[in-house]
Amino acid sequence: MSDKTNKKYMKKSEIATFGIGLFGVALMTGWMPDYTATFFADFAFKGKGFDADTMASAISMVFLVAGIVGAVCELVIGYLVDNTRTKLGKVKPWIGFGVIPLSIIAMLVFVAPNTNNQTVAIAWMFIIYSLYTAFSCAVESPSNCFGSLCSPNPSERSSAISIASFLRSVGQSGGMVVILVVGLVMKAVMGEQQFKNAEAQGLDLIISTAICALGLILFVMIFFTNNQERVPFTQEKVSLKDAVKVVFTHKNLLMVSLTKLCGFGRGVYGTVSLYIAIYLLGSKDLKLALLLPMGIGTAVGTLLVNIVLKKFSTKKTFILFCLYGASSLSILFLVSKGIGFNSTLIIPFLILNFFCGLQHGNTNVTPNIMIADCVDEIEFKTGKRQEGLAYAGYGLFSKVASAFTKALGPWLLYTWSGYLASTNANVAYAAQTDATLNKILMIYTIIPAIFVILQAVPIFFYDMVGEKKENITKALIERREKAAQTAVTTEA
Amino acid sequence: MAKDKKSFNTKLYAIIVFFLVGALLATITVSTYKSRYTGFSPEKTAVAFVQSIVDTGDGYNSYKNTIMSKNYKYGDYIREYYMYPVIYRECDYTPGDDRASLKGFNDESYMSDKTKNDNGVLSGKVIDTMYSYYEELIADLHGWDNYNEFFTRYFDELCKVRKTTFGDDYMTDEIMFTALEANVLTYGKSLTGTEDVFDSNTGLQTSVKSIGAYEKAFGENCKITYEAIDTKDIEDLDSYKTSMNSSALETYKISIDDIKAAKEITVEVNVNGESVAKQKVNVVLIKSTWYVDNTSLDTKLLYSIAD
Repeated sequence: MSDKTNKKYMKKSEIATFGIGLFGVALMTGWMPDYTATFFADFAFKGKGFDADTMASAISMVFLVAGIVGAVCELVIGYLVDNTRTKLGKVKPWIGFGVIPLSIIAMLVFVAPNTNNQTVAIAWMFIIYSLYTAFSCAVESPSNCFGSLCSPNPSERSSAISIASFLRSVGQSGGMVVILVVGLVMKAVMGEQQFKNAEAQGLDLIISTAICALGLILFVMIFFTNNQERVPFTQEKVSLKDAVKVVFTHKNLLMVSLTKLCGFGRGVYGTVSLYIAIYLLGSKDLKLALLLPMGIGTAVGTLLVNIVLKKFSTKKTFILFCLYGASSLSILFLVSKGIGFNSTLIIPFLILNFFCGLQHGNTNVTPNIMIADCVDEIEFKTGKRQEGLAYAGYGLFSKVASAFTKALGPWLLYTWSGYLASTNANVAYAAQTDATLNKILMIYTIIPAIFVILQAVPIFFYDMVGEKKENITKALIERREKAAQTAVTTEA
Repeated sequence: MAKDKKSFNTKLYAIIVFFLVGALLATITVSTYKSRYTGFSPEKTAVAFVQSIVDTGDGYNSYKNTIMSKNYKYGDYIREYYMYPVIYRECDYTPGDDRASLKGFNDESYMSDKTKNDNGVLSGKVIDTMYSYYEELIADLHGWDNYNEFFTRYFDELCKVRKTTFGDDYMTDEIMFTALEANVLTYGKSLTGTEDVFDSNTGLQTSVKSIGAYEKAFGENCKITYEAIDTKDIEDLDSYKTSMNSSALETYKISIDDIKAAKEITVEVNVNGESVAKQKVNVVLIKSTWYVDNTSLDTKLLYSIAD
């Protein structure tokens, strides 16, 4: 590559603050869905005497509607981002200004109205959570595509994206630490029983949400003051129709997005992790022990991808990690079958779980780098730079895939595996047949492995790598320099 | 973009946003906390106490609003004063003793084969057997006001029933809590009734519809509401404090000097809008939190609402 394409643009601190910004956003967006569901179901209208079945159905509908709102907002926000032209850039204003309503709305999700009318309560849940979803899209979606604008140098951009992705994946679980610390502080201040009484009203959730919201503001503001968009936006206005067309007709972008759809079953392991802990390892308390090595593996994997990307192209890296992921899951299956479902399986299972987690680093990082490259390719071909829509398209496919995962997981567990629920009030988990236990193990290992392979298939058709990528990068830099010179001449 | 700072001061904006939004979040949190946490209001504390008893007959958990739970986690108090003396009965355990060197009946050496191999069926049998005794205690003691006798008699009986069922003396605090809390729950259901419940994943029925005592007395879908209708300051605080059960306070690790104020609250219980009971509850202020004074309770009326 030429000197121009090797030029470093970002200050070192910018790479860190980009990650800090994504950490802040993930802290909020990672906290909200699960704890909102808990708050709505258990605390928001406690003691109001509402019909439990109606409330349970309503809460499911709230999240379904929010999913649809989120999918629509992905595209709308992407379109709006691509039509944003300000002195601060096209993405930064969305993040820097959007966090204010986002943090306040997130907080208001945990301030339930004091009503005895169930219809009002349900309407409030729909409105407040849909609002939250819309505002979280308005911040999260632009923050994800900032990576493609932070530097015109693809190599520098890739490093920034992978480090920021690592911090984002850490931030996703940050809320769990917040609620733990909040609980400890409340116990120390109030005494154990009074803490329990406050916890029974969901007050620890409310304080934790405030802390996550404040964290969002703090970390995003650090990012906002220190980071710059360095890839100039193009001036052409894009129509909504043309914009949506980009998502579905640009081959490389479509292939990256399709990885999500083709690999939607990767996540079904989450449905059975509790049952793996109970039936295969012997205690439901081991669920956390199961998730921890995999979480650490994911974090390590995110950093590992950055190293692999220095040696191989994004295409090769993605395929390599998919092959590794499928192999590690298959090994976990074979080892578990070999040892049998008893206590001696615990240690090998947890160790292998760490190695299975490494593959997730790839899916956290590489597609984001590929989309940034696709944005360059689209700009090269059309003269229009459309980060907003490119990332929104990927986000849309992610949301559809996530819906499929949520449907497939329970079907596999409760229908396909032949799982028997306990009918004895005094027995929490009924004994299962060997065939069912084998299928539960397959849902955790072999079935995700198949989807890990399937998600690699579209990438075989992805070609924004090697010489093509270098030529496009070079051509874009030259084009931008020429445009800058023309602008200076015109001003003079 | 290079002219960012000239047109828009991002650092100033960031500082203003951080402090303004921070202040707003703090305000929302504090106001929500104050409105939801019962301990800051004497009326809410009294209502929560009465509601716990009436809604589900749960006099057991109502103690979480009382001075007993000021310095203790309620469960820890029960362990210390009623469970460990049973589990370590051969070691002459007294509350506060170090248990590390004591061998109690929670030691695995006391487990029979039936205990070791139980998959929940025999434990369930113990719970079912204990339920009739639980009902007997509620009737005999007119509720939970005399918690001392309630816990003592219940756990003694539990040891006997367990020995008959399992053939051993094995006993742990977990076994004791499981049986007691299951009985408390069943008693609550006997008042409120239950609905048909189906597992959303498997479709299997997990609960069968039953008519509760409240529904029999006041009709299906009866609605119980609570209101603090009268609040009186206890003006002669010193006399009130000296009249409190000092030995009970000692076990709660509370000094009468900790009590800064006391009020008498009358809570009215309404069913379908009609008054069915008026319960007087004394509450005391310790630091900034109100607690029900459980040394001066008479709640037997609340256990007979459906009669």
